[in-house]
Amino acid sequence: MADSAAEARIDQALATRVRLDGDRRAFEQLVRRHQGMVRAQLRRLLHGDEATADDLAQETFVLAWRKLDQFRGEARFSTWLYRIAYTCFLQASRGSARQGEADDEAMERLPAPAQAVDLQIDLERAMRRLSAPEQAVLLHCAQLGLSHEEAAYVLAMPLGTVKTHALRGKAKLKTWLAAWREAAGEEEAS
Amino acid sequence: MNDDAIEALLRRQFEGPVADDGFSERVMRQLPPRRWRIAWPLWLSLLAGACACWLSLAGTPLLHAGWRDWLHGELSAPAMDLLLAVAGMAWLALGWTLAESEDR
Repeated sequence: MADSAAEARIDQALATRVRLDGDRRAFEQLVRRHQGMVRAQLRRLLHGDEATADDLAQETFVLAWRKLDQFRGEARFSTWLYRIAYTCFLQASRGSARQGEADDEAMERLPAPAQAVDLQIDLERAMRRLSAPEQAVLLHCAQLGLSHEEAAYVLAMPLGTVKTHALRGKAKLKTWLAAWREAAGEEEAS
Repeated sequence: MNDDAIEALLRRQFEGPVADDGFSERVMRQLPPRRWRIAWPLWLSLLAGACACWLSLAGTPLLHAGWRDWLHGELSAPAMDLLLAVAGMAWLALGWTLAESEDR
């Protein structure tokens, strides 16, 4: 927690230098500090499409550079960046919405994992069967480590909606991955 | 499988931050020149506001009487009015400055 607060203070100081002096080196430090997680966020949102994720990440940082005057420190800098990145992702995915729907339908038709070989592969498939908001909430809360409040800020959703999506998403995953628990139980019994 | 187990699985599935591999340099090359916020409209508005204030109050005897009494060190009613107006504006300016400094 203390580390996180110290990191936030460093980000705040760098952002202030950029805002007041137009310091490009300070902004470069911010890019280096956050590019890894922003690109990881976009790669997950785009289901591993690395090229598009990197294009959107680049767009995210250029927008952050232009709009840094609007960063007032009410959220952590990383959370502010995640929000810009998620907005870029939504804008980009609007164009390919039909394709996305088709993918979702195909994913819905896939059978639920029963006797899977690899739990991680099954989890990946199960994640894709969740609705887009449930996937986004679980990505930001469980994987990127944001609080529900921060996820609500990034995804521009009411806090209650975020909590509901998190609960429903986890409940679905539990149901779909129940076969693993049963298999584990059988292994233990034998 | 409980919530903690699902969350642990999700964390394990996340690959973590992506290595830089020249990404930051590419971003820095793409940055446009920074646009500075233009300050002259603020100063022009302040000047226009002060002029409008002076023009609307110049004809009232209260301002003249207050200013004269203030200069002579008399705490008359007009002088007190003027003093309160100045103090109010100073408090507003202080509040604004503090709010701006908190944002930074």
